[in-house]
Amino acid sequence: MTERSTTFDEEKRDAVPASNAGGGMAQKMRQTFSAWRQIRQESSARGRALYSLAGIGILVVIWHILTMGEPTQRVIKPIALPSITETLQSFESLWFDRALARSAFWSLGRVFGGFLLAASVAIPMGVLAACFWRINALLRPISVFGRNIPIAALIPLTLIWFGLGETQKVMFIFLASGAFIFFDSTNAVNGVSNSYLDTAHTLGAKRVPREGLIQASIAGVVHGMIFLGVAFLMGSNSTVVSKLAWCLGGFIGGMLLWYPILVNQVIKKVILPLAAPDIVNSLRLLFGLAFGYIMLAEVINAKHGLGSIIIISQRLGPREHIYLCLVLIAALAYAIDRGILWIQYKLYPYRKEL
Amino acid sequence: MGEHVPEMARHAPCGIQPLGQKEKKLADIVTFTNVSKTYHAGTPRAFTAVTDINFHVEDEPGIGEFIGILGPSGCGKSTILRLIAGLVPQFPPTTGEVIVNGQPVTGPGADRGMVFQDYTSFANRNVLDNVAFGLECQGVPVGERHTRAREWIAKVGLDPEHDQYKYPHQLSGGMRQRVAIARTLILHPKIILMDEPFGALDPVTRRNMQDLLVDLWRELEATVFFVTHDVSEAVYLADRIYILSNSPGTIMHQFKVMPPDRPAKVMMREPAFQESVFEISNILDQLEEGKD
Repeated sequence: MTERSTTFDEEKRDAVPASNAGGGMAQKMRQTFSAWRQIRQESSARGRALYSLAGIGILVVIWHILTMGEPTQRVIKPIALPSITETLQSFESLWFDRALARSAFWSLGRVFGGFLLAASVAIPMGVLAACFWRINALLRPISVFGRNIPIAALIPLTLIWFGLGETQKVMFIFLASGAFIFFDSTNAVNGVSNSYLDTAHTLGAKRVPREGLIQASIAGVVHGMIFLGVAFLMGSNSTVVSKLAWCLGGFIGGMLLWYPILVNQVIKKVILPLAAPDIVNSLRLLFGLAFGYIMLAEVINAKHGLGSIIIISQRLGPREHIYLCLVLIAALAYAIDRGILWIQYKLYPYRKEL
Repeated sequence: MGEHVPEMARHAPCGIQPLGQKEKKLADIVTFTNVSKTYHAGTPRAFTAVTDINFHVEDEPGIGEFIGILGPSGCGKSTILRLIAGLVPQFPPTTGEVIVNGQPVTGPGADRGMVFQDYTSFANRNVLDNVAFGLECQGVPVGERHTRAREWIAKVGLDPEHDQYKYPHQLSGGMRQRVAIARTLILHPKIILMDEPFGALDPVTRRNMQDLLVDLWRELEATVFFVTHDVSEAVYLADRIYILSNSPGTIMHQFKVMPPDRPAKVMMREPAFQESVFEISNILDQLEEGKD
């Protein structure tokens, strides 16, 4: 129907020689518009890139229009939104005076430390909870509480418990992400079909106490290292004894958590590997969230970090730094997300849909 | 054709056979004594899956028996297999006893291999590691278990060179079931339990798989329990057929049928074969109609 009316219009326009070129143009526009209306049209990578660039271009143009002209005559005051050139020019002072790279590393280190700590505890717990209902029922109240409390509400408490230093930042991330990692791991394991368990059982999968103990010791050592690393991250001025206590606690905790998993071939060889792609996928999404939470903790109080640059720039200026930081944070988060996704493809080539 | 007729007649369904009528000379490989399974017993949700199952299968040295299990849908055919395998929640039975090889079943084990209808190849393992899974659990070193796995990949009609590193998602349904069969048989189980293993395959693949199974079974000398909905499949493959009643299932009929000594394509065209299929189908149809 649309097709026919277009042709008809075309013919009518052709009758007037003067508007011949305009007619061709009109037809082209019509075609473009009818293509816009087509639901789930096939697209090419080039086309998508082109339109995405156009999207950025539109934003830049709007930004430019809003901040055109002399500072006093602008639509938006420069204190609220600086112009593009002003923002880009402030990058130098952000990089050197505000030590951007070091701040970014601080922020990443805090998230990474807290998140690693949470993952190392919550993943084995989640796996165990999904396998054994008693463990699940025991941990469920904490998990439900942890997932339903607004994360920001934990900040005052972590300040009371862990002080103003790095411990508070790391533990905040630990508390904020732990319950979610636990819950997602449990779900991932629950998603493994019972028929795989039956198959493993009929193929002779069994308990292997000796092997399990050896492997749990190795897992314990890995946990000890993780805990030690986090202890270093949290306080360079803490005593050697307290660092060793963390390390030992990690070792014992790691052994206790991993032994029930590694002693059972059904969990070790079937359930865990089959759930692993989903667990890693949820870790990727949760890491993105945790990276957001660290800004929250840093905005409230911190000496270093991207969040602290933002809050200092808000109070003392230059405001340009806020915009640069926001763009940088988004770019960093996106790069990390893509990086983990790439690792996922390499690790689990058989899970193309992730 | 004519000379086969007396033999066919001898092997054709001979009606209801009193259970346990044969004199007991050989040791039993599987014995069910008054086995019933009721879920949620004592609650309003109580549901009896099977009741009063009694049978015994002898361990004929050198030739395991091939037992086909037929019955109307939902009558507890799989329950019987899972009771032999020792898999929860069907195991343990509410009453009665399941004895395998002289010992009461206490749980699942590699001596009773099972092939399921849904494709249960481990998605994270390639063909080689899927087939070698059981050996891996036993602690067989990697070199040896891969060599043996390759032998079995070839035996089930896959190409070890070409297919060994493929993942399950790269295989067709028929190929996945070949992997499942290889993975089970590599452990040389004395009992093989098959729960509609070819139910999801197309007819041509299905017939090829049936012939493959017959060849492998001869070589292995294992006792096979084979649940199916397909009467001609059961009549072709089985030495003996159990027919279960409507739910709660119990064994109503037992037939001895001719063994699969010719390819499926040939045997399924013979009149005596079709007569057996017809007779058993009639019984099953009556059962289906008799449901409430």
